[in-house]
Amino acid sequence: SSSQLSSLPLQILFYVNGIYYIFYFLATLAMIVYKSQVFSYPDDFLAPDLAVLFLMAMLEVPRLYLGCKGNLREEEAALGLSLGLTVGSVVLSVYLLAWQTYVLWADVVLTAVLLCAYGLESGLKVTAIAAFVS
Amino acid sequence: PADTRGAAQVGAYSAPAPVTDVARLCVCDLLVAQCDVNCCCDPDCSPEEFSLFTACSVPVVTGDSHLCRQKAAVYSLDVEANPPERIFQLTDQVNPSIFCIHATNYKQALHLRSPEMPTPENFDGLLNEFGSAAFNAEPESWNMDTDAPDPPGANETQRYEYGVPIQTEDAFLRLPSPVVSSWCSDANPAGFLVNQATKCIRSVSVEKCESIQALNMLFYINSSILAVPKSSQLVNISVQSTVVQSLDGMRTSLKGADVLRLPVILDELCLNVVLGVSYHITYTDTGEIIEAAAAFVLGAITKEALSIQQSFQISFAQVDTEPVPLSGNPGYVVGLPVRAGFSPPGYPFPTECLFAALALSTNKHRQLSILQSTPTQDCLAAQGARAPVLFGYNMISGCKLRITAAMKCQPLAQTLLDVLKGQSFPEYVASFGNSQAQDVRDWVPITHLQISEQRISNTLQSSCQIPVSFGIEVKWTKYGSLVNPQARIVNVTATLTTTTLKQLPSGRERTIPITSSVVFTDISSPAEPGYKAWPTINIKLPFDFFYPFV
Repeated sequence: SSSQLSSLPLQILFYVNGIYYIFYFLATLAMIVYKSQVFSYPDDFLAPDLAVLFLMAMLEVPRLYLGCKGNLREEEAALGLSLGLTVGSVVLSVYLLAWQTYVLWADVVLTAVLLCAYGLESGLKVTAIAAFVS
Repeated sequence: PADTRGAAQVGAYSAPAPVTDVARLCVCDLLVAQCDVNCCCDPDCSPEEFSLFTACSVPVVTGDSHLCRQKAAVYSLDVEANPPERIFQLTDQVNPSIFCIHATNYKQALHLRSPEMPTPENFDGLLNEFGSAAFNAEPESWNMDTDAPDPPGANETQRYEYGVPIQTEDAFLRLPSPVVSSWCSDANPAGFLVNQATKCIRSVSVEKCESIQALNMLFYINSSILAVPKSSQLVNISVQSTVVQSLDGMRTSLKGADVLRLPVILDELCLNVVLGVSYHITYTDTGEIIEAAAAFVLGAITKEALSIQQSFQISFAQVDTEPVPLSGNPGYVVGLPVRAGFSPPGYPFPTECLFAALALSTNKHRQLSILQSTPTQDCLAAQGARAPVLFGYNMISGCKLRITAAMKCQPLAQTLLDVLKGQSFPEYVASFGNSQAQDVRDWVPITHLQISEQRISNTLQSSCQIPVSFGIEVKWTKYGSLVNPQARIVNVTATLTTTTLKQLPSGRERTIPITSSVVFTDISSPAEPGYKAWPTINIKLPFDFFYPFV
């Protein structure tokens, strides 16, 4: 065991999460466009769904950056902040999973995978913070 | 859901809740308490009736097909079993697509929304949201605002086009017509080249008859028509003819038509009240109006009259033309008047201008016409109202004749003949709808038959017969191609039925019905399809084919 406390699985997960999130964002945006063409999607139902998606995208960037930085520099503050932002992302993705205007089966699959990734990440972050403070 | 909440509030006014359960939804069940044929979901059908079905008209009832998972009601007929029976299954239908709707949080996505039922509380809100005027009395486009800038293209010469309201000095040429109810509305404009005839009711009173504008001749002719829209060239409306109608309906044409007669109160009557206006507009082929004439029918109203019926008409004619309305081209069109005419004196000696004088006028008294029943149903009081015979429409009309002992037979017979046949009964009927006067063979002579009701042995030849029934039978045939047959009149027979007038003891009177009828009979023979001859193959070798051997 080396003196390196940074978690390698967490770093790998951040990397994978970043790529997956780009794909998830584009796929969900495309599906919202598809839904608005095929189904009846009035503007006051479309606006909240798009707002949540873009908000989640805006949260994702600092979340991953802080997570990477905190993990590599072994700073628990940054990692803790990233954990807090993860909670926000989880809430938003639960909205997209359950309270969207139209929830397609593809939505369910993609968001479930994202939530699993967030859950695993949160677990690993907690372990890493515990390792850093002790 | 909003509909059930509304239902709870309103009670008896609520709309029925929408049925969304697929097991209870049956779209082919149209007859109440009766079995619909081949409707497998109909609850009114008994097993015996199911055994008579051949197939299920509605095999599957499902909700929206985009849903990932939904219940489906499947109806089928088991024809193997004896007797055939209906099978009903409630299954789960799965949409395998990855883009199927798993869930939705938007209620109206998959169901139509029940409309809000009006209640005393929400009525004002609904009226503001959905209520608006049904008709615009004066649309903005008719605003004669000269300050408004001219639309592009106004530099081109303006002209009237079909349907454009005819403009006059102050607004537009009005043709009062009934709007919504039968009361006259003066806001109906006359459209260019739109022949219109309207009748409406106007409320009147003898005291105010001089002040009601719409009863005054001037109201209809005082503003001149613009020859071309938005121009300053004016065309005055001239009075072509004036007909005065008396209180009992008798009409007389007045000489000196250009004298304006204004309503005047005389002895509890108001005279010179406008009962009808007929405009006749002459136009050129460049869309310019060059002449306008109006023919008036003036009448009188009594003190008791609270409303009168006014009739208005407008017709257009191109300058230098004499329009003759055709009743079909070439075959008669159902509903158009049967054209008839007379031959000039000197027939049957053939001359070139034989039928040139055939009367083709549009005057309805010269067309083939039958007696028109009047409300009083009294033959002797009939004003000579005739209805034109329209092709294809069988008509029957009549009146009642009150015979008293004092009536003499011969004048009575003559009067009845006039009543039944009209003033000028034509001699020829056009065979085609567009028959021209010059084509001799296109006109069918009317055959007259006279039959007597009594048996000959009972009556003396010299006793007087009065006509009681006049029937016109028009035999027509389909003519021309199989896919577009044209109606052609082949034979017209007018049958006059007479009966003996029995002398009545004095003081007694009898009522006999007089009838007149028109019947159209189709005597087309079955069509024979004709085939063109087979094409012949015509092969010839060129004459120098065998050069140099030949």
